[in-house]
Amino acid sequence: MSDIQNLQTFDPFADATKGDDRLPAGTEDYIHIRIQQRNGRKTLTTVQGIGSRYDKKKLVKAFKKKFACNGTVIEHPEYGEVIQLQGDQRKNICQFLIEIDLAKEEQLKVHGF
Amino acid sequence: MSGDEMIFDPNMTKKKKKKKKPFMLDEEGGEGVGGEEAKEVEAKEAEPEAGEDKEVDFDEDEIRKKEPSDDLNDLNFFNQKKKKKKPKKVFENEVEEGLKELKIEGEQTETLEEDNLDLMLPTKKKKQKKVDFEGELVEKDDALEDDEGKNNDGISFSSITGPSWAGTERDYTYDELLNRVFNIMREKNPDMVAGEKRKFVMKPPQVVRVGTKKTSFVNFTDICKLLHRQPKHLLAFLLAELGTSGSIDGNNQLVIKGRFQQKQIENVLRRYIKEYVTCHTCRSPETILQKDTRLYFLQCETCHSRCSVASIKTGFQAVTGKRAQLRAKAN
Repeated sequence: MSDIQNLQTFDPFADATKGDDRLPAGTEDYIHIRIQQRNGRKTLTTVQGIGSRYDKKKLVKAFKKKFACNGTVIEHPEYGEVIQLQGDQRKNICQFLIEIDLAKEEQLKVHGF
Repeated sequence: MSGDEMIFDPNMTKKKKKKKKPFMLDEEGGEGVGGEEAKEVEAKEAEPEAGEDKEVDFDEDEIRKKEPSDDLNDLNFFNQKKKKKKPKKVFENEVEEGLKELKIEGEQTETLEEDNLDLMLPTKKKKQKKVDFEGELVEKDDALEDDEGKNNDGISFSSITGPSWAGTERDYTYDELLNRVFNIMREKNPDMVAGEKRKFVMKPPQVVRVGTKKTSFVNFTDICKLLHRQPKHLLAFLLAELGTSGSIDGNNQLVIKGRFQQKQIENVLRRYIKEYVTCHTCRSPETILQKDTRLYFLQCETCHSRCSVASIKTGFQAVTGKRAQLRAKAN
């Protein structure tokens, strides 16, 4: 019976939970990385959607040290804790988050130009 | 003031300018982590352009490489030229020239010795000539090999794809069979997903600076018409992605707050087309965007598939500027 492929029990959702080991389920899976223009050549980079089990303050500390920029954590009623960094750090953040295994590449969504 | 002159572009360091790339739709135009990879893929994509007739037989590896990048990598915005076609033609011409030479030489020999038409005859004089000529050809070949390297790849692959197990006793391998079935599929219906890709050619957006702080997207409505999308939708997407505000002015052009270059707008447009214009199943641009119970659905006219697309969200907006900060504090 199990020789016939069609009769084998197949769970189509078996691999659906794969992405959950890094980001908690329920929340949106994406980490949004955005850029915003300020006056002149200056920019801000915001990172939204990092899971609640990561300490944003510590992350910011690491970001600041690594990318040599300033940054803060901003508490937003709708979007939760958002990391805000000075300058265009989109590439750096992507690289960093993948390196430390916080997120996979397909979970990052880079916005802006 | 150089500060005012300078066009805002966080991607480039102060004075180093990036080499201008033709406007091909590679994912994020070199930004993001997969930039290098994307470029490589692009090179790979450019390859089939050279010999469209040869593309029918491609190695399965090639197909695999294409698959992840197959989104819209070949969306080009007119100002892209076909580069690959040239070297080949030159080569052919030279070969033809060579042939002419050969003919002339042959005639000369004919006048010398009437009986012998065959160039391969081992008389001493002719042999010399022949060798000479061949040497020339080889030289030419060498010179052109660099240009042709990629094409040669494609050709060499094609030799594998024939039923190479036909005469031999050995069993066929999985790869060979896979190649064979892909080739058959492509022969039977060239419009298929895995087959050749349609080029989706778009007008380049015209982006002009208005004063120092605003940017105008001149042919905004034209592009909307070209994509068969409502200006409202594209506007919402652009503003959400760029994180600014803007509006359509009296001349039907879009004025965005902030400094943007054409290249940057192109990037955003590419993303828009990828998400909201091309069908996610067959990648044809003939689609209709419908709103159904608060969700947008993309209905394909070619393959009649229907799938939901992501809604446009602005997300978190940081407060910039003094006045905005004051207002935020007051609330």
